[in-house]
Amino acid sequence: MREGKGVENTRSETEIIAGLDPQAKDLLKRVLEIERARVHLKVSDSETVDELYAAVREIAP
Amino acid sequence: MILRRIQLENFRQFMGKQSLPLDVSSDRVVTLLFGANGAGKTTLLNAFTWCLYGDLSHDIEHPERLVTDLVWQSASVGEEVPISVELEFEHEGDLYRAQRATRLRKEEGVRRQLSPDFKLWVIKNGQSETISAPQQKMESILPQHLSRFFFFNGERIEKLVEAKAYAEVKKDINALLGLEQVERSLLHLPKLERKLGAELRKHGGEQAAEIQEQIEAKEDELRKTRTEREHLRDSLASLSEEFENVRELLLQHAAAGPLQAQRDQAQEQFDSARRDLEKHQLEYKHLVGTRGYLAFVKTLTEQVADLAEGLHERGSLPAPLKRDFVDSLIEDSRCICGTDLATGTAALRHVEDWRARAGLAEVEAAWQRLDGEVKRVEEARSELRRQLKELAAEQQNDRDRKARWEGELTELQAKVKKIPVEEVARLEAKREQLQERISDANQNIGAAEVQIEGLQADIATLRNDLKAAEISDAVAEKARKRLNLVSSIDDALRAILRIRSAEMQARLDAKVKEVFAQVNVKAHYPELSENFELGLYERHPDGTVLPAPKSTGENQILSLSFVAAVSQLAREVAQSREGGSGSGEYPIVMDAAFGSLDENYKRDIASALAKIAPQMIVMVSKGQGKGEVIDQLSPHCNHLGVIVEHTSNPAKESEKFDWGGFEYPYIDSGAERNWSELLEVPL
Repeated sequence: MREGKGVENTRSETEIIAGLDPQAKDLLKRVLEIERARVHLKVSDSETVDELYAAVREIAP
Repeated sequence: MILRRIQLENFRQFMGKQSLPLDVSSDRVVTLLFGANGAGKTTLLNAFTWCLYGDLSHDIEHPERLVTDLVWQSASVGEEVPISVELEFEHEGDLYRAQRATRLRKEEGVRRQLSPDFKLWVIKNGQSETISAPQQKMESILPQHLSRFFFFNGERIEKLVEAKAYAEVKKDINALLGLEQVERSLLHLPKLERKLGAELRKHGGEQAAEIQEQIEAKEDELRKTRTEREHLRDSLASLSEEFENVRELLLQHAAAGPLQAQRDQAQEQFDSARRDLEKHQLEYKHLVGTRGYLAFVKTLTEQVADLAEGLHERGSLPAPLKRDFVDSLIEDSRCICGTDLATGTAALRHVEDWRARAGLAEVEAAWQRLDGEVKRVEEARSELRRQLKELAAEQQNDRDRKARWEGELTELQAKVKKIPVEEVARLEAKREQLQERISDANQNIGAAEVQIEGLQADIATLRNDLKAAEISDAVAEKARKRLNLVSSIDDALRAILRIRSAEMQARLDAKVKEVFAQVNVKAHYPELSENFELGLYERHPDGTVLPAPKSTGENQILSLSFVAAVSQLAREVAQSREGGSGSGEYPIVMDAAFGSLDENYKRDIASALAKIAPQMIVMVSKGQGKGEVIDQLSPHCNHLGVIVEHTSNPAKESEKFDWGGFEYPYIDSGAERNWSELLEVPL
């Protein structure tokens, strides 16, 4: 997926998610859950990264 | 977030404890407050933001003097004076009470102020519970950086649509419309990739470690280039705004105005020709890319047609006969004419010969189909030729138009330069300099984009190499698997953010247009670009579109339309995401709400806002609010009030506020000291 000027992105959000494998779908959902719970909160980046790391280890053991 | 009540205690000029109800009903969402200049409208606006965030706006004088002067002066040494602002509000179905309070201790010659303390309670089933991290909770209800869309001074609101604010506005809008978690993910995922990358480098062997290092170096470069591109875009926005101001000054200048008007028209024609040329070049490329192969199949189709025709002419292709039918005759050992087809007979041999020829019939049918296809390919070739010729002619036409208008622009520029007025020469020199810098900025942005594309391609190749790299260690293999997983969702989220952001921009653009159309009587229309630049345009009778000159009033209308559109969209988005319950609802609290707008604009914007916002608290002077504003807003009013100015200034005359046949104090000039009073007026 390029963001440069020359390549148009024509895929929809549903198509992008459908193109992910099941583990990636689970991780995507989990990442957004983690970030959503922390929006507006003053949480350090490293704390969030640690939680994301735990989520990856859980989904891809 | 819907405000229900505000209570002030010794806050600036509001002496003692004073409160005002602010609640709304389904069709009455407005609280209208009248106050003379200096009575305390700006202070009241600041009371909201001080309570919620502890901040006062930059335009407030002596921000260190939080306490009412009169109260402070009458306090004795050693006495502590309480200062507080308390707000009651509803949010997502819960009732909250927020309080920021401090105490000021009077000591000999000094004011000793304690740090303000913020408390927040939620009231559930009649029980009040203290929230343990109140400021954090407040940020989750309405982040401070977003509050500028909802608590603002009407006279300065046009800052929202200034070019240099676009990037910030875009960021805030994304947060308000629920895209922040995606942005945050994109901030954290690369860090997660680094963590996993470190594991891979440690255990993955030489080859994998080297590739991973290369990936990380490229990613660093990519991040740096992206940041540079953002800076360039910000700089371009500022330059464009400056260019627009210079253009406007030239247009308004008596000597240069007519030539500048011609130049604007020529520029529009030039831009239109350039856009058409780009569009036609793209169509040409697309045609060549998708159907260009047809140009190279001429020999092949001719050979196929010749071969089929030759076979026909030689009689090699028999009449159609179904092979399956002949097979069934042989299987039954009896011909269609009744002859026995026993093994070894001449009759069987004859039928078997037919069977072989029947096979050719299928071949013939295929040839016939192919012949049809060949003809279609030929037709498509002719059509391609026609379309390419047409597009080439259009491109030539675009080039001619572009060159013509470029020449016209050069001529007009020369004429402007010849105007013997120093001010024009100065503006023209500035214009040229800005044009050059804009061109440079555009080129640099283009170069950054090319570099970003290149880096992304390199990273993709390296990731593929990493997938194929030999790894024997189990820990490293796991890290690689996880790294691939994280990379794939990083890519997906980046694409999702672009899609959602574009969708929100399109929805917001439509909303701004909708609100603006209700207000503005001129043939202008706003447009929100993909970078959240809010422009105003004018369509001329000949179909050309030019940026419309924006007066202060029009900037205010544009900004208020933008705020109203943001408010409405935030509500729609939150409701569709969370099924309502007051989520995404925010009040609009405006000081000097309608600035110096004409009466008809005041009427239209007041009416439009009252219909859109879930709550509006409008503070105006009598001069700003009487007439159209009050006529439009009073049917939507749930509360009406006066900020009474008690003043000892002998130069000020007492004034009254008339409402419903009664008189209420507006300026009380006979007071001993200066202070202000919140007075609710019965509707």
